[in-house]
Amino acid sequence: MDRAIKIDKLKKIRNFSIIAHVDHGKSTLADRLIESTHTVEGRNMKSQLLDMLELERERGITIKLVPVRMNYEAADGEKYVLNLIDTPGHVDFNYEVSRSLAACEGAVLVVDAAQGVEAQTVANAYLAVEQNLDLVPVFNKIDLPSASPERVAREIEEVIGLDASGAILASAKDGTGVSEILERIVTDIRPPEGDPDKPLSALIFDSVYDNYRGVISYVRVVDGEIRPGKTVSFMATGEVYDVEEVGVFTPAMSPVESLGPGEVGYIVAGIKSLADASVGDTITDTRKPAASPLPGYRRVKPVVFCGYYPIEREEINALRDALEKLQINDSAITFEPESSAALGFGFRCGFLGLLHMEIAKERLYREFGVELVATAPNVVYQIKLTDGGVIEARRPSDFPSDVSKVDEVLEPYIRVTIFLPDDYVGPTMQLSQEKRGAYVSMDYIAQGRVRLVYDLPLAEFIMDFHDRLKSATRGYASLDYDHIGYRASDLVKVDILIQEEPVDAFSFICHRDAAYNRGHAVATKLKELIPRQLFEVPIQAAIGKKVIVRTNVKALRKDVLAKCYGGDVTRKRKLLEKQKEGKKRMKQVGRVSIPQEAFMAFMDVSGDDGK
Amino acid sequence: MNPRSLYVHVPFCESKCPYCAFASAVKRPGDEEAYLRSLMEEAASKSGIAEDALLTLYIGGGTPTALSPDAWHELTAIIGGTFRLAAGAEVTAEANPGTLSRGHAETWRGFVNRVSVGVQSFDDDELKFLGRAHDSGQAAEAVEMCVSAGFETSVDLMFGLPEDPRQDGRPKYRGQTLRGWAANLRRAVGLGAGHISAYQLTIEPGTPFSGLNFPKHALTDGYLPYRYAQWYLPRKGYVQYEVASFSKPGCESRHNLNYWADGEYIGLGPSAWSYVGGTRSQNARTLDEYARMTAEGKSASVYEESLPPAQAARQAAVLALRARDGIDWRSFGERHGNAMKDEIAEKLNIFPKSLLRNDSHRASLTAAGLRVANRVWEEMI
Repeated sequence: MDRAIKIDKLKKIRNFSIIAHVDHGKSTLADRLIESTHTVEGRNMKSQLLDMLELERERGITIKLVPVRMNYEAADGEKYVLNLIDTPGHVDFNYEVSRSLAACEGAVLVVDAAQGVEAQTVANAYLAVEQNLDLVPVFNKIDLPSASPERVAREIEEVIGLDASGAILASAKDGTGVSEILERIVTDIRPPEGDPDKPLSALIFDSVYDNYRGVISYVRVVDGEIRPGKTVSFMATGEVYDVEEVGVFTPAMSPVESLGPGEVGYIVAGIKSLADASVGDTITDTRKPAASPLPGYRRVKPVVFCGYYPIEREEINALRDALEKLQINDSAITFEPESSAALGFGFRCGFLGLLHMEIAKERLYREFGVELVATAPNVVYQIKLTDGGVIEARRPSDFPSDVSKVDEVLEPYIRVTIFLPDDYVGPTMQLSQEKRGAYVSMDYIAQGRVRLVYDLPLAEFIMDFHDRLKSATRGYASLDYDHIGYRASDLVKVDILIQEEPVDAFSFICHRDAAYNRGHAVATKLKELIPRQLFEVPIQAAIGKKVIVRTNVKALRKDVLAKCYGGDVTRKRKLLEKQKEGKKRMKQVGRVSIPQEAFMAFMDVSGDDGK
Repeated sequence: MNPRSLYVHVPFCESKCPYCAFASAVKRPGDEEAYLRSLMEEAASKSGIAEDALLTLYIGGGTPTALSPDAWHELTAIIGGTFRLAAGAEVTAEANPGTLSRGHAETWRGFVNRVSVGVQSFDDDELKFLGRAHDSGQAAEAVEMCVSAGFETSVDLMFGLPEDPRQDGRPKYRGQTLRGWAANLRRAVGLGAGHISAYQLTIEPGTPFSGLNFPKHALTDGYLPYRYAQWYLPRKGYVQYEVASFSKPGCESRHNLNYWADGEYIGLGPSAWSYVGGTRSQNARTLDEYARMTAEGKSASVYEESLPPAQAARQAAVLALRARDGIDWRSFGERHGNAMKDEIAEKLNIFPKSLLRNDSHRASLTAAGLRVANRVWEEMI
């Protein structure tokens, strides 16, 4: 192919994302675009085709990105290639959103015409602006009686600062505006720039793991060309691979001869683990490498940690295998072995956020059949010691037992931006205060709609902030957050003692002022959940050696005592066996059997503050 | 293999109690003869199993006193003609107030030396609720008669009776109070029973009671009356020598002790269990089937079970812990091997001293341990 043809081909490509707040109709709109370009025949359409993972489908949210290549004949009579690159819709996966956007020149900004601007509308729009993307604003759900495009336009202009005068009025549900959106993608979004003769540089914006083919990396070629047989280097890891196959998404993977500048597709190169093909890395030609990698790569760092323990101790190896396999699929997960006096051997796992953590646990169960106990999630604390040393504490047991050695404890903070109707400002501020939030600002973005900004300890946020916010605002609030670094706090480690023995799995870190209430809540909850044993079981909460809460699980008193003579022996044994069967799901901690729910419920209770 | 205990099941009752799951039925004409004929067949076929003279014989049911004194004559003749009884052997007959007559006592003289009276309660409302055929007066009379006739006398009493959930317009039984239970115990002691079996009402599947809607909690809370019995009876000179058994010294049921010691026994009659050579087997439950099988010269056994050694050892440990003396480690090790001994000893280690005494000689439940014994056993299975 000569250079002129390649350049012409480049001009006919449009790479774009759809960005939207959760539930504003992104997936439905994507489905409509795919349908009306006949990329997938109607009868093969599964609704919300892009959300492939079963779990995502259930939760109705998108985590993994599946790009789609659409052929479109525009009003100017030319044939265009539209590459839709989907973005994850949850703050846990913000970094992946930014990498996906980096692979595009434009974005369709979808705003619910009835609900208006929400927290993630702003966050995602800002990310797009930061990447210098061309934006096509769309007001979706225009068919709803409560749709108010004028108000939403005003909000976009006032809150985000974008011109919304040319916004398309659409309804992904009934198809209104879909053809206009396709046309505007062609006219308003610029074609990619790139030089087929320059050294290869291609951005990895996602990687998935296939059991048969190894890692499949989703790439956007910026300069140069990639084709099977080529030897390529991954610039962040320095690893070298031979390309086996390249292809495009139709949306099924279809091999092609080569991917040139501006094109979006996949490569298969015999890569064994996702960790070797990180999102954000740059692929280049080993023999003729690019001068510098594409900007923006960073290794994602987990922010939330928790311990995973198998229910049956013997299943530790099965859990390790499952985590290894899961990591091949999801390189953002980290894990390292740890042991707990109460729970035995397990792993301390790191996640991008709470949702990420829950999904991982769910996948371990569904895909690998591993049942586990998860300890309460933790953030990473920095502990400055009096001798000048610093400890990075990922679990309560990392805290020095000698409190006098601790000079200062720092915890990660986030800046939370909440959008909500002004009726709920009171309860929301109260909740934020209670969560040790520091007020930053509040302003009206439109009549009756408020933007509230607080700086909040991440630890408080991950506990249950989202759920409590939902109930405080009847679900009308939306939020987004950024990490803003570490701040010093008066934090203590609270130990829970069962039968006078500390059960490390229940220890937690909290602010000194909340220690009593939380200790009380945990002890009370455990008292409820731990079945009566054969003896009285004291439950205590303590800071260091000082016990701050004490309660008791009373000894078991109810039992059936019956005669047993020669004829009953067999029947009695069977009864006992049946009885025993029903109790298998307990974790034996010392002499006390603790049901699995106790470890789970602990997560909910920590935020109750004793109420 | 040398069983020295014999159990004989009498499958007849005057009427069927709504909580009872034992094999028994109201007698039809000809049943008594059929039963005795079959019993004779079975006894003859099994007499060779017992090499030595029997140390204990227990005639239970059903209601053994539902057999007429004449039938009893024949029964004793059958047993006496096929099995040898050791001198001083314990021979127990179960008796129900209302059917127990002076005639029975006369017939028993020289053969039966221990009577277990199915009193259940000395309270008329409780007896009615339980569907018993007797009243409190007959209950007391029966016990008095046995004691004065010189039999070792045991009284069965039931606790944990829930409120009657039936709404049929009749005055409703309100459930057993601690006071009511205490009165029952007092009465049994006052009448001179040397042995008291105190046990909780359980709802057995397939019984009329299992079709009633008892509130869940009502049935499991036997703790208070049980604990009271553990407090009261020792003060009156009774020793709790097993989970459900209290006796004056020397009045323990040797027949039952053999069960808990995992000893062998032969069973005769419909539904009777035998345990010989490590195999537990049960006879056909109904009289008709039992009679048919024995008439054909076949064994009446319809179910057999031989536990693998490890399970058998655990079973033996559970049974042993029912009794006051518990597990004797040396003989346990000899019988089941040291590996099983160690496994079980280890499992028992998780229990505090307040529930279980465990040293190098023996392991046994304390009074407090007996109260939660089911949970202890559960750990061992």
